[in-house]
Amino acid sequence: MDLLPSDDQQQIVDTIKDFLRNEAPVDRLREFGAIGNPDALLWPQLGELGFFALGLPDDRGGVGLSAAEEMLAFQQFGYHLVSPGIFGLVLGARIAAFAGEDALRDELLAGGIKVGLANSRGAAGAADEYHLFEAEEAAWVLLVSEEGAALYPRDAFSEIVRVNSTDSALVLERAKLSGAPRVAISAETDNIHDRALMLMGAYAVGVSEGARDLAVDYSKIREQFGKPIGAFQSIKHVCADMAIRSEAALCQASFAALVMDEGSPDTPFHATASKIVACETAVRNAADCIQVHGAFGFTAEANVHHYLKRAHVADMMWGSLREQRRRILTFPTPA
Amino acid sequence: MDLKFTAEDQKFREEAREWLNANVFKERRPHGGDEMREYDLAWQKCQYDGGWAGVSWPEEYGGMGLGLTRQLIWYEEYARANAPDNHLCFVGLNHGGPTIIAHGDADQKKEHLRSILSGEKIWCQGFSEPNAGSDLASLKTRAYVDGNELVITGSKIWTSHGHLSDMQELLVRTDPEAPKHKGISWVIFDMNTPGLELRPIEIMTAPNHTHFVQCFYDEARVPLKNVVGGLNNGWSVAMSTLGFERGTAQIKDQIRYAFLVEEMIARARERYGAAFLDGDEFGSRLAQLRADMAAARAMTYMVVSRAQHDVSPAMASLMRAMVGQVQQRVRRLAFDIIGADGLENPEDDDWVYFYLRTYATTIAAGTSQIQRNIIGERVLGLPRS
Repeated sequence: MDLLPSDDQQQIVDTIKDFLRNEAPVDRLREFGAIGNPDALLWPQLGELGFFALGLPDDRGGVGLSAAEEMLAFQQFGYHLVSPGIFGLVLGARIAAFAGEDALRDELLAGGIKVGLANSRGAAGAADEYHLFEAEEAAWVLLVSEEGAALYPRDAFSEIVRVNSTDSALVLERAKLSGAPRVAISAETDNIHDRALMLMGAYAVGVSEGARDLAVDYSKIREQFGKPIGAFQSIKHVCADMAIRSEAALCQASFAALVMDEGSPDTPFHATASKIVACETAVRNAADCIQVHGAFGFTAEANVHHYLKRAHVADMMWGSLREQRRRILTFPTPA
Repeated sequence: MDLKFTAEDQKFREEAREWLNANVFKERRPHGGDEMREYDLAWQKCQYDGGWAGVSWPEEYGGMGLGLTRQLIWYEEYARANAPDNHLCFVGLNHGGPTIIAHGDADQKKEHLRSILSGEKIWCQGFSEPNAGSDLASLKTRAYVDGNELVITGSKIWTSHGHLSDMQELLVRTDPEAPKHKGISWVIFDMNTPGLELRPIEIMTAPNHTHFVQCFYDEARVPLKNVVGGLNNGWSVAMSTLGFERGTAQIKDQIRYAFLVEEMIARARERYGAAFLDGDEFGSRLAQLRADMAAARAMTYMVVSRAQHDVSPAMASLMRAMVGQVQQRVRRLAFDIIGADGLENPEDDDWVYFYLRTYATTIAAGTSQIQRNIIGERVLGLPRS
């Protein structure tokens, strides 16, 4: 039993970290301008490095590693606020692989095309109404539900209307689902819904850690009353709380990934618990991060607001805290 | 990353489970007094006689000499078997004993270790003073050397179960001229020593629940050979083993609390109907706690994992701080679920007693504020306050 990454796993983490630190510093979102992000330009490189295929079995065209490596990768994607379009590629390739659509799978793994995400608008809309994230120039749109997951061509959606995105680093549209999926797999074929929740939990862990580090770094350099504000317990304890919550979320994300790799019947419970703990943490850490930055944290000149808004997107995707809390009470007591 | 235990670990788990199922005390643990002492010692002796006391203690002192992973497994099985927590043995097993193992000389080890494991001696702690709580290093209880004895005068407070204890791990100031961290010694103190007076302190759980004592030392004499780790070296001795209190022993509590949340869900369903799940505040709080308890357990696994990799013990503060808060939330919700019944505090209702008890979880062994200082400074590298 060991929840820490092995040397091989750490090497993967370090490679992704180095790549994203150089190619996708969070400053890119500010520099990019008003709406959207440049992340789709990274997809071919990330594809070439094999990062979309980590958790796919090698007999299905993947790297043949486990959910643990995928979890670690998505933690880093969250840390750098990489466009959630990356879920579309990784999960989309999984759908194609398990549906036997090898050509599509390889196209997705190479990162040459974009996959948007469709998410139910829940009580805010009718049953067939969705939000489309990062789908504007996407060939495909990913839809995940408890029953399974599917890739739809973009034109399976109608009445597509561009709306202002609260997370302005993402392109958001409203749409109605009126067509059929091109490729679909059921929950019996693969635990893709649990995997989606687990990976979104890992992503939210990264967002939480990013907000934590931003607050800690700032409180080391910002001085008031003649010393760094991090020397004051009022600030120090806020930072400590961010660290405590992040650690809890990371531990649960790791546990959830390992339980999934074991094929345990507790997989849905732990994946759901991971999404709950991590999304709650991401929103709270981002909020604390704004507070630690004071008035600067309230501006668009600081990067802080991106963490808050991305945390809310992560929470809303595939069922918000409210829905996940309902779901988790329906699972049997885990071992 | 790996969740698997080795085949030997699994065998150990099965043996532990089998032994626990056959031997666990079924009678309810008394909440206080000599009955509680007798109960705790008897259960400790039972574990010792069965060969299960001190999983990670060296074999030469009656332990099993096994690693942290086995310790974790033992505690998991212990909690699953609903074995009683013999809190009176806690200081000896998790603090005093390990300190002597780490810093004691051969005679000290020979004299004191086995009687802790075998359920003969209860140890208590003499660290805090009326004016030295979070600022422990400012302690003033004085001890001077007279021939081959230490002569101790002063007062200690918040000594849990001091009135039921045989021995005490005691921090005293042996060099008042030295800087505050440098003049302290860690001493083995016999609670039958002349010159010691105890004042019982009732706690908030119910009238007549004595949990703490205040200790008054008036020229109490202790053999100099009872100093552990060298005269004036007590601060580093105490700090090096404080981590024992923040480690694997908490997995028991976490598993118990996870079970409790399941029981709360059942009791809430029974009392309020299945519909309470949907949108009710209780449903939402229970769900969040169910998720948080899973995370707390994962954090304990991480503490054991980090210890194997030799990562800074300060990281364990993250788990301790989280668990203290979650336990309070669980007990508060348990109290809320029973509704008006919570205003009655019968001797046999643990839900009220333990609700009140959990106010200690963010105070004992370093307040959550001190924990946050440690996390801020030693984990996050923030400047000292």
